Amino acid sequence: MVAWPRPDDGVVPPTRMAEVTVDRGPTTGAGRGMVRLPRALHPGAWWLWALGLATAASHTTNPLPLALLVAVAALVVVRRRGDAPWALAFRMYVWLGAVIVAMRVVFRVVFGGGQGEHVLLRLPEIPLPEWAAGIRLFGPVAAEQVLGGLYDGLRLATMLICLGAANALANPKRLLKAVPGALYAVGTAVVVALSVAPQVVESVLRVRRARRLRGAPGRGMRALRAIALPVLADALDRSLALAASMDSRGYGRTAAVPAGQRAVTGALVLGGLVGVCAGTYGLLDATGPDRLGLPMLLAGLAAAVAGMLLAGRRIRRSRYRPDRWRPAELLVAGCGVTAAALTMLAGAVDPEPLYPPVSPLTWPELTPLVLLAVAAAALPAWLAPPPPLTRTARPPSAPTGVTAAEAVRAAVPPTRVPGGRA
Amino acid sequence: MIRFDRVTVRYPDNGPAPLRDVTLRVEEGELCLVAGRTGAGKSTLLRAINGLVPHFTGGTLHGTVTVDGRDTRTHPPRDLADVVGVVGQDPLSGFVTDTVEEELAYGMEQLALPPTVMRKRVEETLDLLGIADLRNRPLRTLSGGQQQRVAIGAVLTTHPRVLVLDEPTSALDPTAAEDVLATITRLVHDLGVTVVLAEHRLERVVQYADRLLYLPGDGRVVDGPPAEVLADVNLVPPLVELGRLAGWTPLPLSVRDARRQATELRQRLARATPSWPPPATEPATALSARRIVVRHPGTVAVAGVDLDLHTGQIVALMGRNGSGKSSLLWAVQGSGPRQGGAVTVFGPTGAVDPRRLPAHQARRHVGLVPQTPGDLLYLETVDAECHQADRETGVPAGTCRALLDQLAPGLPGDRHPRDLSEGQRLALALAVQLTAAPPVVLLDEPTRGLDYDAKRRFASLVRGLAAAGRSVVVATHDVELVAALADRVIVMAEGEIVADGATAEVMLASPAFAPQVAKVLAPAPWLTVEQVAAALGAAREPA
Amino acid sequence: MSVLRVAPRTAVVLVLASAAALAPFTWPLFIPARPDGAARAAEAPLVFVVMLPVLVALALAELTSGGIDSKALAMLGVLAAVNAALRPLGAGTAGVETVFFLLVLAGRVFGPGFGFLLGSTSLFASALLTAGVGPWLPFQMLAASWVGLGAGLLPRRLRGRAEVAALAAYGALAAYGYGLLMNLWFWPFSTGTDTQLSYVAGAPLLENLHRLAVFTAVTSTFGWDTGRAVTTALAIVLAGPAVLTALRRAARRAAFDAPVRFAAPRSAVADAAVAATDELPGGPRANRRRRVRR
Repeated sequence: MVAWPRPDDGVVPPTRMAEVTVDRGPTTGAGRGMVRLPRALHPGAWWLWALGLATAASHTTNPLPLALLVAVAALVVVRRRGDAPWALAFRMYVWLGAVIVAMRVVFRVVFGGGQGEHVLLRLPEIPLPEWAAGIRLFGPVAAEQVLGGLYDGLRLATMLICLGAANALANPKRLLKAVPGALYAVGTAVVVALSVAPQVVESVLRVRRARRLRGAPGRGMRALRAIALPVLADALDRSLALAASMDSRGYGRTAAVPAGQRAVTGALVLGGLVGVCAGTYGLLDATGPDRLGLPMLLAGLAAAVAGMLLAGRRIRRSRYRPDRWRPAELLVAGCGVTAAALTMLAGAVDPEPLYPPVSPLTWPELTPLVLLAVAAAALPAWLAPPPPLTRTARPPSAPTGVTAAEAVRAAVPPTRVPGGRA
Repeated sequence: MIRFDRVTVRYPDNGPAPLRDVTLRVEEGELCLVAGRTGAGKSTLLRAINGLVPHFTGGTLHGTVTVDGRDTRTHPPRDLADVVGVVGQDPLSGFVTDTVEEELAYGMEQLALPPTVMRKRVEETLDLLGIADLRNRPLRTLSGGQQQRVAIGAVLTTHPRVLVLDEPTSALDPTAAEDVLATITRLVHDLGVTVVLAEHRLERVVQYADRLLYLPGDGRVVDGPPAEVLADVNLVPPLVELGRLAGWTPLPLSVRDARRQATELRQRLARATPSWPPPATEPATALSARRIVVRHPGTVAVAGVDLDLHTGQIVALMGRNGSGKSSLLWAVQGSGPRQGGAVTVFGPTGAVDPRRLPAHQARRHVGLVPQTPGDLLYLETVDAECHQADRETGVPAGTCRALLDQLAPGLPGDRHPRDLSEGQRLALALAVQLTAAPPVVLLDEPTRGLDYDAKRRFASLVRGLAAAGRSVVVATHDVELVAALADRVIVMAEGEIVADGATAEVMLASPAFAPQVAKVLAPAPWLTVEQVAAALGAAREPA
Repeated sequence: MSVLRVAPRTAVVLVLASAAALAPFTWPLFIPARPDGAARAAEAPLVFVVMLPVLVALALAELTSGGIDSKALAMLGVLAAVNAALRPLGAGTAGVETVFFLLVLAGRVFGPGFGFLLGSTSLFASALLTAGVGPWLPFQMLAASWVGLGAGLLPRRLRGRAEVAALAAYGALAAYGYGLLMNLWFWPFSTGTDTQLSYVAGAPLLENLHRLAVFTAVTSTFGWDTGRAVTTALAIVLAGPAVLTALRRAARRAAFDAPVRFAAPRSAVADAAVAATDELPGGPRANRRRRVRR
């Protein structure tokens, strides 16, 4: 065997090894009086926390806890986001939330049909033409109606903003590393896509510039072909080189699957999916047995997922520097789950304050349980380790690369996405 | 370590076999250099080592290839990943992940090594290749040389015993290439890795090679010590050419070898003077640029440069990457950004600034072929590109094709431009640009990835352009090309011109820009083998 | 050709998952009115929002369960990157949509399984690039996957102008279909339950469809979809033939289905003699245009 230098040969300076131990060692336990070193939290922890908050938000229409939850999400994001480009996403989600609230209210005003006693103002009614028979625009605008829209919209907006917090806090690339084995191939394709996309943008800019050299304009439908083709051809050539590189580096080593196991996974996945279909039907069918729908659906999902995970075990590979669940991760995720559980508990104890009635108009109130839930949600602002800052460590070179990457992100605010429009 | 036993490779397209009945052995710890023209089968030979041929490419492999006792028939590339590491030409296109550290770990992840081992090996490799300070950097933002070193590191982490490198420096500038080659030789010496290296800059590595495999292009492989094999090879570095001319044996492989043998030659040449092409009588100014300023966000690329180009003159524009060469060319052509200064082209229609003209007019005054000539081409066949060029320029049909036939005779018209070799694609892009008959032609790094043969053809092509009265600027790193081609050399650094003068004057002034012949024959002012040959011939005739 | 073989079992899984996945899109049209309707209405969307990502993951895992070839995987990643990079270019202008153009063409060339994967990976990569991960993402992924799958299922025989025409028509249709699906899923969330545009639990299908149509018209998404359909069709007509050629050329160069053979060594003399007459397996492939290698 080739004589490879070992660390004790002095090839790796001792200082470096020491640094390494400090860098990622298990010393980062939260809240145990130790110095907490900056590190990135497992993205799954942030997502669980955010989903917990969203679940809590989904269990109330009371604007007070909803507003508090938004404030909590903002607080945690401000305190614990890194300096990566995605950390700026939160603001866009807040804007999106505002748009949703406004939309809900406007819909109520325009199409509401005017239920409610406290009429704020009367707009002229406009009956729509024949094809939209039965629908009138405007008419009297009642306070109950507006408030109902506001509450409803605020709930949805809060859920969305919580997800925005997860988008801003969790590193999407680390999230990809945590996909189950069965999705490994798809995960790799997405990793490739993420690393190639900025290069494609650079290549678009380069080719567009070169268009002028041939005396043709670089914009418009007619330039599409002249720009798309060199870029595409470049990308396709690159894919072949990439495949060769992946093959030579061991991609696709899999363990042999015994026929028996394959049959079991197949049966689980297929049986599970049949269960899901039946469950869905039960859920949507008015005449079907009521209790059958949801349990059947969930059991089917569980079986199918079990089959998928089992099938994923044939992928034999390991992960470099995997994100581990350490105390800080558990605490953060636990905070989210606690917030959700407390809100649900509050709903079970006394649903009234969580769903303040709009008719008759009442002032919304806070209960101690809900306050406790909000407090739990806010804890990660202190419990989570501070994020590592990468910007300062990076030399300020390669302006073109950075601009291209930023161009991708800047060009599309995610505001557009949740509207459902691709 | 590597054994080829009567290997013949045929691809499914039924073309001629790139390898025919090849039998060879590469021993443990050897640095084995593979040479041959583009398309001679170098890649096929290299890819057969780890089974990419035929597992990946398709086709038939007769005979057996074994590496470290493993037969590629039964071991596809993925099962050889722990024995053979393969590095390709363009490092960026082989990267799977996007940061240095993760790329180093990728291969080990596929081999399912335990995380602690991976961690240790990544640290080792970072230090071994001197890239520890780059560990968190996105791969895209690294320079070419750094990327190639990461690519080498990424295959080293699995501790392969054989390293296969397919023209690892062809897309790099000389400094970066030097870096990468130094790394490779160090690996051979320090770790005893067996290296098989295809490389067209023979002058840089041949001195370190233990063996040379030469592929003449007919499917054979000529195998032997470098100096012996090079004796009957027609693509050789200037040093070997000089050695042949002077009749030295063994042929010199390094400047040092050559210098020690050259005492007698230096004496023979003492009284001769190199022949220089006569300066054009009263050269007319073709283009005059004043105080050109180009700013990119964060940097000043060109800082107030004055430039005059003359008809019939070939100017070489040199300087390290990022010194502003490309920005200057684009600014002069008028398509790139230009924040200050003025350009005047003295064309048949009077003096104009190409920037003030619409794009299709500007290219009639100054033609530019960008660094990646493929960017200009977007149609499916060579003929279609030629027709389009004729149409968009408004010249009689067939003009572009006629130009192309002068530049690269016999290029099949139905060939896809992407299927052409680098040299042919360059010729096509140049023909497209020349269709507009610009009096000034700018070429941005045209010789990247060209082999000796293609470079020679390119040089005569550019001479032809100059002879036809065009003013040509070639931005390049290639000192040998400049020595053989340019009338005048401009050196740029940090956006300014730091040297401007006749080729011999600039090139002899600094060892960094001196061609091999000059280094051997210094202090006498010889630049090329042709000059030496001419002088020796002249000296012999009267005698 | 199809770079991803879809086994019968995989096809069944895809059909079942797609059938189950229709519910998360269309439930407002079918949800029954019951005494506990209010509770049901609140819980159904959440169940479906949780269920859909699982279904998408199942479909993707099943498609790649046979071990996807590195060439197909690299092609998938690179094309998804092109899609993700092109997406922002069009998004600034209302209605200009650049994703479907390449998705439809690639689905056509590389087959239904590849089209399905490309739809999902493109949108997922794009969402990660723009930090747009959320409950809407699985809906977009699945809808785009269906678009890619459909493109791969178009009749194989079509070639030349007929092929481009069919693809352009399909692209326009798919753009409308995608818009409709996205509207459907977002409809209950944007209107709530008690406006005149909201769905009515238990109402006849036609009435709910009518309400959906009015919602679509009112929110002017119809105009948006039309913009998308027109640009997609136009792009396919203008650049389609060239892109198809480029993709087919890439498929040929990648030699997805080229036979790999090992044989006994033969002498150079015999080889030269046989070279003229040797016919390799694969029939028509044997006399296709020569590949140029470095």
